Order: sequence, then C-alpha cells, then structure tokens
Amino acid sequence: MTQQQDRTAALVLEKASVAYGHVPVLEELHGTVRSGEAVALIGPNGAGKSTLIKAVLGLVPTVRGRIEVLGVTPAQARRDVAYVPQADTLDPDFPVSVEQVVMMGRYRKIGWLRRPSATDRTLAAEALERVGLSDRAKNRFGTLSGGQRQRVLLARAIAAQPRLLLLDEPFNGVDAVSQHALLEAIALLKQQGAAVVVSTHDLAIAHLACDEVCLLNRHQFGFGPTDAILTPERLRATYGGHALELRGDRVIVTQT
Amino acid sequence: MSWLDSTVHRAMIEAALVGVLGGVVGVFVIARRLPFFTMALTHGTFPGIVIAALLGVDLYLGGGVFGLLVVLAVVVFSRARGQDFTAATGIALSGGFALGVVLVSAQDGFSKDLTAYTVGDVLAVSTTDLVITAGVAVVVLVVMAALGKELLLVAFDRDGASAVGLPTAVLDFALLAIIEVTVVATVPALGAILTVALLVGPAATARLITDRLVLLFPIAVAVGVSCALAGVWVSTQWNVAAGASIALFCGAAFGVAFLASVLRGRLRPAAGVLAPPAAVPEEARA
Amino acid sequence: MSLFEPFHLPFMARALVELVILGVLAGTVGVLVLLRRLAFVSDTLTHTVFPGVVIGYLMAGQDGVFWGALAAGVLTAVLLTVLAHRRRVSEDAALAMVLTSLFAVGVVLVSRRTAFTSDLTQFLFGRILTVTQEQLVQTAVVTVLVAGLLAVLRRQLMLRTFDPEGAAASGIRVGLLDLVMNVAVALVVVAAVQAVGTILVIALLIVPAAAARALSDRLVLIVPLACLIGALGGWLGLAASYEASVYHGLRLASGGTVVLVLVVLYGVATLAGAVRRRVGLGRARLSTPELEMTR
Repeated sequence: MTQQQDRTAALVLEKASVAYGHVPVLEELHGTVRSGEAVALIGPNGAGKSTLIKAVLGLVPTVRGRIEVLGVTPAQARRDVAYVPQADTLDPDFPVSVEQVVMMGRYRKIGWLRRPSATDRTLAAEALERVGLSDRAKNRFGTLSGGQRQRVLLARAIAAQPRLLLLDEPFNGVDAVSQHALLEAIALLKQQGAAVVVSTHDLAIAHLACDEVCLLNRHQFGFGPTDAILTPERLRATYGGHALELRGDRVIVTQT
Repeated sequence: MSWLDSTVHRAMIEAALVGVLGGVVGVFVIARRLPFFTMALTHGTFPGIVIAALLGVDLYLGGGVFGLLVVLAVVVFSRARGQDFTAATGIALSGGFALGVVLVSAQDGFSKDLTAYTVGDVLAVSTTDLVITAGVAVVVLVVMAALGKELLLVAFDRDGASAVGLPTAVLDFALLAIIEVTVVATVPALGAILTVALLVGPAATARLITDRLVLLFPIAVAVGVSCALAGVWVSTQWNVAAGASIALFCGAAFGVAFLASVLRGRLRPAAGVLAPPAAVPEEARA
Repeated sequence: MSLFEPFHLPFMARALVELVILGVLAGTVGVLVLLRRLAFVSDTLTHTVFPGVVIGYLMAGQDGVFWGALAAGVLTAVLLTVLAHRRRVSEDAALAMVLTSLFAVGVVLVSRRTAFTSDLTQFLFGRILTVTQEQLVQTAVVTVLVAGLLAVLRRQLMLRTFDPEGAAASGIRVGLLDLVMNVAVALVVVAAVQAVGTILVIALLIVPAAAARALSDRLVLIVPLACLIGALGGWLGLAASYEASVYHGLRLASGGTVVLVLVVLYGVATLAGAVRRRVGLGRARLSTPELEMTR
C-alpha cells in the first residue's frame, strides 16, 4: 500500500458528478488512478463509460465534486493526455496514410508553421513499430482491417507520449492478433509509467490488462483492485437482472 | 366569365394545391434526409424543360424525364469510391443546371426565360397548368394513402422493412418518383430554387411542433397551404415575386417554430437532455 | 479547336486569369468541402450571398456589391456554424430553409426593380467576359488570404476532418475551426460570384475536388490535382465557348460551358481512377488484411 502511494496520482475523482445540460449522467464517482496503473471501466451500454472519458478530457462538464488530471483541471492537462477513439467511428474513405494518422499524435508538439522534425518522425515510426504495423506505414488507413485500424490509433496515442491514456472500447470487434498487439502495447506504456483508463465490457480483458476496475452504471458500483471488485454480487448490482451466476464463483453477463 | 378567368384566383388555387403537395411529400423529404437531393432534382429538371421547349414536346414531360436522369446520375456518382451522396448530389446539381443554362443561352430571350425558371411565376399559371397540378396532387395523395405506411416503415427501419418482405428498392423508387413528380408540378409556380422551400419548410416546421406522426401530415399541409396563399396575397398587394414571398413565409414559419422549440427546451430543461429530440425519428436515417 | 488564339484578346485573357486563380482557390477549399461533406453548406452559401449583393448594390452601386456580398457571406457562415451545433433540427432541413429564405429576400428586393431579370441573370451566371482588372486583384487578394489561412491551420483542419472527437480531445476548438472553414467557403463565394455566378462557384468547389479524389488516395496529390483540374476546366470551357460562338454561330454561356467541361473531366477522372485501381489490384492483393492475419 505504501509503495502504491509513492506513485503520483494521474487521475483523481472526488465525488464527481458529470452532466449534459442539467441532467446528471454520472453521479458521485470516487477513486484514484496512479501512474503505471491501468483501470478498466466496466458497465452495460449507456452506463456512462464514454461520458466519463469525455469528462476526463474536459469535454463534458463536472457539475459537482472534482476531477483532477495530472494535478490540474482536465482542460489544462490535455497536452499530456491521449485519447483513442473507436476505429469504426472514422471515415474509412478518408485519403490519409497510416503514417500520417500516427503523425497526428505529434501535431500538438510540432507547432503551427513548422514541419515535423526528425524526432517527431522517429517517435511516430517507433509507435507504429510497437503495434506491429511498420510494414503498413504507406497504406491508406481505410484499407486496414478494423483491428489494425485500432492499433494505428493506439500508435497515434503512443506517439503523443502521454502520461494518461484513455481508450474507448478498443477491443470491440477486434481480431485475436490485434487484441494481443493492443494488450502488449498497453502493458509497455504502463511499464513506462503512463496511467491507462480503458472502457470495455469484456471482463476477461479487464482481468488480463488492468490492475483496477471501476464498475459503472450511472453510479459507481465499485472501484478498486480487479479481484476484489469483480465479484458476482457487484456485477449483478451493476448489470441489474442481466448477470447470471455460474457455479457460485463465476458470472456471465447476458446483455452488455 | 368564369371564376377561373382571374389570374389571382388561378394563382390562389395553384398555390393551395402545391401547398398541399409540398406539405405531404415534404414529410418524407425530411424523414429520409433528402432536402439537398430535392434541390438537385429541381435544378436537374431545367435542361429537360429547355429541350422540351426546343423540340416542341410537353414541358412537364421533358422536366420529368430529365429529373429521372438526375436521380440515376446521383445513384451512379455516389457509388464511385471515396464519393459520398452529398458530393454526388452537388455534381449532378451543378452539371444539370449548367446544361440548361448552356442550352438556353443558345436561344434568344435568354434572361427572361431563365428568371421564370429560377424564381417561377405563379401568377402566370394557365387553366391547363391547374388541371395538371390537380391531377398530380390527386395521384400523389392516392399513392400516399395506399403506400403511406409501407413508405414510413422503410424510412423508419429499412432492415425491418426488408425483413417483413417489403420490396424496399421498389418503394425507394416510388418515393423518388413522387418527389420528382411534385417537383415538376411545383417548379413552374415557385421556380427551381424556391420550390425546395415548400418541400422542406412546412414539414420541418411540423416536425418542430409535434413528435406525433398522425399530426405531422395535417400540420405540414396546413402550414404549406397557408404559406402559399399568404405568399400569393402579399405578392399581389406589393408587387413582389410570388415565389419569393411564399418562400419567405415558409422560412418565417420555420424560424418561429424553431425559436419556440428552443424556448420550450429552455423552460423544460429536464425533457430531452438525455435524449435530445432529433428533427427526424432516429431510425429514419435511411 | 484553338486553345490559345482566343486568349490574345484582352477580355478573354482576363477571363482566363480569373478562372485559373479561382480554380486554384476553389480546388484547395473544395478538397476540404469534399472531405467534410459540406457540399450542401457551400451551395447554401452561394445562394445566401445574393441578398448581400442586392443590398450592397442598392446602397452603394457597383462598389457596394463586394462588401454586401462579404457581409452576407460572413453572416451566413456564422449562422450555419451555430445551426450545425444544434441537434434540435436536422442540419440539412435547416440549411434548406436558410438557403431559400435568404435567397428569397434577395429576389423580393430585386423583383421590385425594373431590371429584375437581367440583375438576377447576372447574379446566377456572372459576367466572366467582362471581368475587370480590379476584380482580378480582389480575387487574387482573397486567394492569398484563404490559402495562407488554410496553410497555417492545415494540421488542425485535417485532424478535425478525420477525427472530430480526437481533435476536441487534443484541445482543438472545433467550433471555432468550423467557423473558419465556413468563412473560407464564404470568401471563395464572395470572390467568385460577381465574375462567374453562383452555379459556377458551386461547381468549382465540388467537381474538381471530387475528380481529384477519384484519381488519388493521397492528400498531398489530391490538393494540387484539384487546383489543376479546376484551372484546366476554366481554360477548356472558355476556349470551347469562344470557338462555338465565333466559328459556329452558337452562343454558349461561358460559365455554363466551364461547368459542363468540369463534369466531363470528372467523368474521365472517375474512369481513369477505376482503371488504375483495377491494374493496381494485383499488387494490393499481397497485403490484404486476411493475409496479414495468417502470417
């Protein structure tokens, strides 16, 4: 426990409530993610997982309580935060090459009128290498498979050298090869000291990749070490009637 | 002397008829997100009318045939890779209109014909035009009455419609044909550019006023007819172009409904924050 | 057909210069219009500039036209940006209403004048053959302004176009950027509308970019290709309309002819793109996703 406290807090939620307009979407969230840790946001569709990610990015206002990112407000921290959207929200016809997408991760650091420097190019190339797609650098983004696109977007985030990485459902519809590559890249980022927040409804992945879990469905149903939180009782509470118990210690979720 | 001999009376009837047509058909134009496409259709009928005039065949026929060509062109263009429906529509729109312009420019009396075409002249409708518009209105209303629920199902839930065995392609074509016929009947009165006002405005206004499907059609028709009549009346009183004043009334009705809905949203912030009411039933994005 | 001889005439030369400048300007902005799917927004802007032209003319004569158009263009750009961020009404319905209402204001104002038809015709088709030196300068200045603006903002614009959420997440002010984009389109319309008319502006904005997109998947090539196709269309269109009216007694409106040439170029580009892809398919097969997975 003392060892954990030595690590700096990358994301602090203090009884935070998040709202669109006047109606709260998420209420009373409380917890801390430290550097080098990964937390999985788990909950059914419409639970507010994406909303929480947007709030951490400062795109949705916190109406009560506090969200602190890297010691400052979400909007102030954006330079050190990277966001990985779901690949299938992007236009597959867009005329942009894989390496250009990765270079987008460097845009904020390149400056307005300058061209990408040698450092920028190296970092982008290394990031692409890490997700195992160096050989596709010149291909058009849209010609890649869904899982490969997701890896390119992760490479873009890696190129930005973030201290906090946010991923929105990165494993949705992703093939096994890509899933493995994504998990490895995330593990390496953690080792290098980045904090990772990943929303998913795959409990197995939460077990594999994350140290902590945040169970969400409008409210927080638990936030803490994966093994302590992923209990049948808590899952049933989070998912309502859609969780089934198997042999006493396992749970399957019938509707996500 | 018959009542129909008066220009103003004829214009009033024509306006009321296109108001009804615009309101009814407009509900589908809105639901299927076709306003820009309708714009292309109005421009695309232009070369058809010019060619028909040159060949001495019926103007409505010429416009109708060319409108169909525009439908085909948009479908073909939007299948090209990397092109979306909007760009394809834009290409068909400018290409079709340019063809009309080039054809007209080879004739004499260039700018006068063109003006009548682009902004229309409802005060010039003949009794024959009236009969044709009335005929179109009857046909469209009968088809709507017969196919209305099928068309709505396709607009609402395309996959569901094919699942229950509806011929969606045929229904799509039927809808485009209805819009096409309505455009051809309305353009002489309002002109190419302003026809869109009547085909979008009343239905969009109705959509802002109500979320209930049964009310959508009567409100759209009421708004369409009142805007059309008010436009003609203002035009005869103050000597302004009738098509433009009809379009302005449509715009004003829409603007008022829009502001009212914004105010209503402010007063009742709780409603519709979690699920903001889209202009169209969500599922209608075909 | 003679491609060079007509341009020895000063008025033809000026028309050509105007169309080449506009081709470059609209080609550049047009690529963004294509990628952002703003064709309808552009069409709306071309029409809503009309009341500005009319009011400017009524207030200050010919000199007022540019400023009236500019005011109306910028005003509409703001209005469209605000409307696009509202979800209460679908964007295309709102666009259609803004387009028709403002255009109708222009028509109402102009319909009370005796020279109604010729005024309207001039707005819709412009007078490319009577372009003045001063208009050329105006167009050139606007081109430099817009090109500079887009060059400075190119990375932000690209990120916003490709991935709006990612752009917002990285701190780009998307609303502001959209306003800049709409104003850029408005500036193109204002620069061009007097000379070439609304229909040609919308064609110049959409068709060359679409043709370039059919030819290439690479943005670095698409932009210069679009500029080139726009300028080429202007040149060939002018030459064709000159040829027809001088040697064949067939008066063809120059603006309309340019649009038709552009559409033909688009058709050729689409075919060429399809052929190129079919040829390149053999190479592409080697790196399809399926094979990638089995490796």
